[in-house]
Amino acid sequence: MKKYSLYTLALSILLFVSCSSDDDGTTEELTGSGEISIKYDNGFNGNDLILNTPNSANENGEVITVTRFNYIVSNFRLVNEEGEEFVYPKDESYFIVSQETEEDNIVLPGIPAGKYTTLKFGIGVDQEKYLQGSEGQGDFLAEAEANNMMWSWQAGYKFLNFEGSFTSESVTEPTDFKIHMGSHGSSLDNYKEVTLELPTSVIVSDEIDSSIHLKIDASKILVSSNNIKLSEKSVIMVDEEKSPQIAVNTTEMFVVDHVHNGESHD
Amino acid sequence: MVFLGSCSSDDEEYVAIDEPLEFTVPSNFPEPSYDLEANPPTKFGFELGKKLFYDGQLSANGFISCGFCHEQRHAFTHHGHQFSHGIDDLEGTRNTPAIQNAAFMTEFTWDGATSHLDLFPIIPITNEVEMGETVTNVVNKLKADKEYQKDFSLAFEDGEINTENFLKALAQFMVMMVSADSKYDKYVRNEAGGDLTDQEKEGMELFEQKCSSCHSTDLFTDGSFRNNGLPPNPQLNDVGREEVSGSADDRYKFKVPSLRNVEKTAPYMHDGRFGTLMAVLDFYDSGVVDSSTLDPLLKQEERLGIALSLSEKEAIIAFLNTLTDNTYLNDERFSEY
Ligand code: HEC
Ligand code: HEC
Repeated sequence: MKKYSLYTLALSILLFVSCSSDDDGTTEELTGSGEISIKYDNGFNGNDLILNTPNSANENGEVITVTRFNYIVSNFRLVNEEGEEFVYPKDESYFIVSQETEEDNIVLPGIPAGKYTTLKFGIGVDQEKYLQGSEGQGDFLAEAEANNMMWSWQAGYKFLNFEGSFTSESVTEPTDFKIHMGSHGSSLDNYKEVTLELPTSVIVSDEIDSSIHLKIDASKILVSSNNIKLSEKSVIMVDEEKSPQIAVNTTEMFVVDHVHNGESHD
Repeated sequence: MVFLGSCSSDDEEYVAIDEPLEFTVPSNFPEPSYDLEANPPTKFGFELGKKLFYDGQLSANGFISCGFCHEQRHAFTHHGHQFSHGIDDLEGTRNTPAIQNAAFMTEFTWDGATSHLDLFPIIPITNEVEMGETVTNVVNKLKADKEYQKDFSLAFEDGEINTENFLKALAQFMVMMVSADSKYDKYVRNEAGGDLTDQEKEGMELFEQKCSSCHSTDLFTDGSFRNNGLPPNPQLNDVGREEVSGSADDRYKFKVPSLRNVEKTAPYMHDGRFGTLMAVLDFYDSGVVDSSTLDPLLKQEERLGIALSLSEKEAIIAFLNTLTDNTYLNDERFSEY
């Protein structure tokens, strides 16, 4: 796919000559398009997230063992240094991050050359997409089903599937918890978006593929803007009050760790 | 970038040409809510959808098809079953609603568990008391079937057997299922055969006064979720719309059902508790119970329910019987055999 003509080569040399140096060290004109990969590095309260292994107690004194941590990310957009937003093609913009299958690297090819300062994406599936019916879902539906991201009693997506067991001061026997968050039919839309400023611009062009390394703190699902105590309710699926709170907390679990320009992760 | 044209299937060659099916909106109906451009019904798409609808392979045990619970003679309801039984004879807790005029609806099932017809089949297929399968598994079964390989290649340009085309075919079949040829329809459209008797006309007037705020338009539903005051059955404790929304404000609210073909769709209500239309009207007259979510229309002037004399009930039933559409109930395009 990567080909450049002698003409562009000549042009970039020309530009290289004309504009001497640039702060970030990239001196050539960025042309064509490249690939950005986004690594979702799942963790729990500063440590690695290891399934089936107890984590140290959270703020609520709950010791949580995670057995499943899957979520849907979607609608990727990148804002460049000029403030222009590039919207990744919507039809190809739905992915499942799964700790179980270790699917945690999302590859977005065909990003127009440039320097991007901001990454935006959604958590879950927006109503617009859902209401495109079978055509809109395409193969994503089968993928969601295979990853336990479909509800069966309502034909909708789980945006987040977070399961495991916990103990606390009051709950001394390990007790299962299940947090399935998604939209509640047509009555409550839990789709949310995240905006992350990058510490250094991510650069792509015909010659440069780059990656963004995100760190995810799954403990935030319970303890963040909203405090969710599993000892109060351990199975949360469609809860008019708690599900939207979990949706907000989930947007807060992403932090940019670093940007790798000129190399992809996997 | 290279775009490949629709490549001919490599092993066999077909000469059959698919053609679009015409979808006519009856003049007394609102505009369809289904996006016919996203999934335009075609001859072979429809035929494939019909075959799938009547195919037991869609269930885990290979016997329960959609048509098993949705019988045409009864406007695609499960006649004689209060609760539809499915796989391994497990019984659900809800009465099978009619399938008709789905292209005009925006919410499906009694509690609106989906707002898109295309995605509806996921519910019965994956429900462990209905068909007990996964969509992926069903698609794999179809992939292994020579006949379906042919059917899908005829019905879709890309010819692929995948969830998208599987759901599209089923939807094409259901979209074409329009019931709009009852005596009542002929009456409102001034067509031959549309003469209502005096009693039927009286029933129609009563219906317009007392029922049509919920059972509205010529679809006989406004598509909303409401509590019509049925006393909850403590054994089922079906909370209705709350199940989907998680909101206590929606407790005991169910989708207002269409009343087309209602003569043929007994038993009635989400749990099939009433065997006759007279029992339904007796309930509206004297059985409505109060609760915080009871629809305000059924609690007016200090009286619960809708006052109806016996002759008024009889007139309303006579009117409801004019909604029977024998053309639809006997339409061979939709029939299993
Ligand atoms: C075991 C019996 C059973 C089987 C099998 C079954 N259904 Fe149903 N169907 C029902 C019941 C019961 C409901 C109501 C469900 C609810 O409200 O929760 C329903 C609801 C529906 C509705 C919504 C109607 C409305 O107006 O809300 C459609 C459409 C439908 N079914 C189509 C299908 C299709 C397509 C299949 C095959 C893939 C199928 N059904 C298989 C029993 C069945
Ligand atoms: C406040 C809104 C409202 C009014 C007014 C109303 N209905 Fe209903 N009707 C409903 C709802 C909601 C249901 C479904 C309830 C359930 O199953 O829990 C229903 C169910 C029915 C059913 C059962 C249909 C089926 O397929 O199971 C019939 C028949 C019916 N209504 C007839 C009438 C008649 C006749 C009137 C006027 C006398 C009337 N309704 C007035 C809301 C209303």
